[in-house]
Amino acid sequence: MEPKILIIVPAFNESGSIARLIKEIRTSLPQADLVIINDGSRDLTEEEATKAGALVATLPFNLGIGGSVQTGYQIAFEQNYDVAVQIDGDGQHDPAYAAELIQPVLEGRLDLCIGSRFMDGPSSENFRSTPLRRFGIRFFCRLLGVLTGLQLTDPTSGFRAASKALIKHFAHYYPVDFPEPETIKIAQRHSALVGEIPVRMRERQGGRSSIRYFTTLYYMAKVTLAILIDMLKKNP
Amino acid sequence: MQPKTFALIMTAFILISVINLIRRQKMTFKYALAWLTSCTLVIILTIQDSWIGSLAEWAGFALTSNFIFFLLLIFVIFFSLLLTIHINEQNSRTESLAQALAKLDHRLKKLEKEGSCRGH
Repeated sequence: MEPKILIIVPAFNESGSIARLIKEIRTSLPQADLVIINDGSRDLTEEEATKAGALVATLPFNLGIGGSVQTGYQIAFEQNYDVAVQIDGDGQHDPAYAAELIQPVLEGRLDLCIGSRFMDGPSSENFRSTPLRRFGIRFFCRLLGVLTGLQLTDPTSGFRAASKALIKHFAHYYPVDFPEPETIKIAQRHSALVGEIPVRMRERQGGRSSIRYFTTLYYMAKVTLAILIDMLKKNP
Repeated sequence: MQPKTFALIMTAFILISVINLIRRQKMTFKYALAWLTSCTLVIILTIQDSWIGSLAEWAGFALTSNFIFFLLLIFVIFFSLLLTIHINEQNSRTESLAQALAKLDHRLKKLEKEGSCRGH
């Protein structure tokens, strides 16, 4: 039997890029189901996505990245999907890599496969990032390395595929804001196999990043604390 | 006016206000309990002011007034903590409701799509 794959696309005010992204996803993974989580957008994201033929789950107000991605995982869990893939609605994640991303999960080699921008060395030439953000990424690599033993290169990447076992855990609990590094710690706590594959990311094609320069330090402090607190949690 | 009388009047005013809010269903008993208990305690300790003096001495406070301010601070901190927990609970519930709504929205659209596919 063919594995059931669900692509989760959280989107907040992404009317400018969503139709193109849907088209690319359909081309790259025609066998997968797609759900756009419209995170209380105030523009025409829902209309554009529907026009492009995607099914949209609209949140009545903005929950942020954590709440919208968790909604996707809840749909995947309730509808018994085998693999869930997260692709950001801003067009930064190239769906052409989605098939490579799900392969290790389908083969049972990984439970959480992360698309890394830095696995093949420094940032790819068409992806720019601030020095502070690069410092943040390196910081989380070290922190997660020390706490989990995982040698990752891009723990803040939201381009990832999760196995059925992790779908269940993420549907039950998912961090509210800046969730990516913390979810790696959560996955590790649930004995999941976590790994990366190299991907190239693009400049944002629309919308606005949820992590701006002045929030990077807050992001680092909050996520570090959340990861450390997760060390104290026990699995139910 | 005697400070003792002033304290009694003010506490009685707060107590009556809280009871009135419960009566008008603007405050549930659950959240009023901390206020009712505190007001009753203050009234008892105002009437039996020797008790608060002994308590202050036992806790190592040189001045009873300092001990009263300390108790007030503890009450405010404790109540803020309770309110923070309550806000978090409400936030989680609101988030769950929003997610349930989005999931229903998705299911409905999926059924409509399947229905229209069968219709064709």
